[in-house]
Amino acid sequence: MKNIKKTFTITIFAENKPGVLYRVTNILLRKKINIESIHSFKDKTTQLTKIVLSFEELENIANKTIKQIEKIIEVIEIKI
Amino acid sequence: MKNKKLTGAQGVLESLLQEKVDTIFGYPGGTIIPVYDALYDYQEKLKHILVRHEQAAGHAAEGYARITGKPGIVLVTSGPGATNLVTAIADAMLDSVPIICITGQVATPLLGTDAFQEADVMGITTPITKWNYQITTADEIPEVFAKAFHIAKTGRPGPVVIDITKSAQTETFTFNYPTHLSLPGYKPQLTPDPTAIEKASKLINQSQKPLLLIGHGVLISKAEQALLNFAEKTDIPVASTLHGLSAFPTNHKLYKGMIGMHGNYAPNILTNSADLIIAVGMRFDDRVTGNISKYAKKAKIIHIDIDPAEFDKNIPTNIQILGDAKQTITALEKSVKKSNHTSWIKQFNSYEKEEFTKVIEKEIRPNAKHITMAYAVNLLSEMTKGEAIIVSDVGQNQMAAARYYKSNQPNSCITSGGLGTMGFALPAAIGAKIAAPDRQVIAIVGDGGFQMNIQELATLAQENLPVKIIILNNNFLGMVRQWQELFFEKRYSFVNLKNPNFIDICKGFFIPAEKVEKPDLLPKAITKLLNSKTPQLLEIIVEKEGSVFPMIPTGAAVDEMRLS
Repeated sequence: MKNIKKTFTITIFAENKPGVLYRVTNILLRKKINIESIHSFKDKTTQLTKIVLSFEELENIANKTIKQIEKIIEVIEIKI
Repeated sequence: MKNKKLTGAQGVLESLLQEKVDTIFGYPGGTIIPVYDALYDYQEKLKHILVRHEQAAGHAAEGYARITGKPGIVLVTSGPGATNLVTAIADAMLDSVPIICITGQVATPLLGTDAFQEADVMGITTPITKWNYQITTADEIPEVFAKAFHIAKTGRPGPVVIDITKSAQTETFTFNYPTHLSLPGYKPQLTPDPTAIEKASKLINQSQKPLLLIGHGVLISKAEQALLNFAEKTDIPVASTLHGLSAFPTNHKLYKGMIGMHGNYAPNILTNSADLIIAVGMRFDDRVTGNISKYAKKAKIIHIDIDPAEFDKNIPTNIQILGDAKQTITALEKSVKKSNHTSWIKQFNSYEKEEFTKVIEKEIRPNAKHITMAYAVNLLSEMTKGEAIIVSDVGQNQMAAARYYKSNQPNSCITSGGLGTMGFALPAAIGAKIAAPDRQVIAIVGDGGFQMNIQELATLAQENLPVKIIILNNNFLGMVRQWQELFFEKRYSFVNLKNPNFIDICKGFFIPAEKVEKPDLLPKAITKLLNSKTPQLLEIIVEKEGSVFPMIPTGAAVDEMRLS
């Protein structure tokens, strides 16, 4: 079961600044992760950028990748 | 300084002064001329070192940062100035070195038009920086600089790029340096979780065969004394990564040497006998672990790091303690019981003896025919009493320096560990010497790497910095040659170098230089090198086909290390 890819949908809350999406997708590219869907918008109540994206990956690679996304300075929180 | 009208260029320099910067490594060019023009009036307060290639400015800033713990500052122009810097930025990223790179950029209205000397520096440097930002209006300057310094030097340090357009440098604005920063996504956790400390202490108290692996994080957080106290209280043997060298006294009875591909035999072999590994400020790099599926299978692992993304990245761990190394080790030291591991420590002796007889003794002994790298470095270590700052390059020279120089002061072994950048040593030594003018700074380089930043001899001559350079010359790209000998049936594919006459080259750069080939003449040549009050180079012709052993071949386990 360990070697079966699953779909992960994550929600990223970040400062609403230019380049944040680029920083996120760069990390996915480094792991050669293909984005299945993505929706990025400004949340009117929090004024934060909300990025909802899904990808298929092995669980341990997905977890490591999410930890790398958490390191982006502008990223405030990730919900899985 | 409150509400003072400045140009953006002046604002850049005032921001540096606010951050107590005293030195800049740089190279001027079209889009950064306004900052250089402002610098003309700041020469009393800000020392500027004019390098000969932007990559060297980056490595010099790294050398400066590694000695002082303060961010090293780089100032270059746009386009090729910035792209030349890319290798040094990537180097600082992999080795967690705080540097701040200010790159000029074309005027704001020209962005994205393929203007002269325009390069997408944000796009290029995003994956190799801890943070980067493009300033397009002058009023952004104070806040961005304050954030840049905070981000570069706190948590896990790293490089920050500030790309600043020429128009932002020439605009006037009101300068106010912020005292409060809004970084909602950046809050490094320094204080360890007491529950994790308690759990870790329990494992440490129960362990019969514990091993401490120490890395760069120990030096960054200045945890050397705390580590020594902890190791002595628990009687746990200590082994260091390449970047942890000089964090623990090499003559201490608990110090067992370096781990990794060309590290010492005993700590590598016994990694796979240990029942507990306590890893502090290190990241289980593949050069340390060898084959990860055969790494430390008998051991439980406690991993202490300030970067949560390092946990379980390469090696699954049992206990993870997120925090500053000094705070964590201090808390652990208070919490653990005093113990002793005499019989476990004795197990290191036979392996140490074996490595000494089969490798070290032969390598460091004066040889009638030729000088070995080990003999040269060991002699240098003895003659400097381990007190010098050694800045090594990459390859066999680096491993010889790491293995045979016995440092007795922290932050004394500087090298490019993660990226493995040939050409690192000479510019990094320049930065180190500026940071530590009263210490002997010695660059140890190979004949290949030396030619990758050879132009910095001019910087050295211009600044008249008494950096000492040792070239270990085997007329080969030695480490690649060694691999081709061992693993590619001696098919020496493009590793043979017809080198320039390095002594003549130095003469052209006004650097005094000498060449030595005979082992019995080496002590005298090293004495002359060390006593020189000016920059000085010593070319040592070493054994042509010498190899660095022991070695863990790629794919092998740490306990499959070869002695020959």
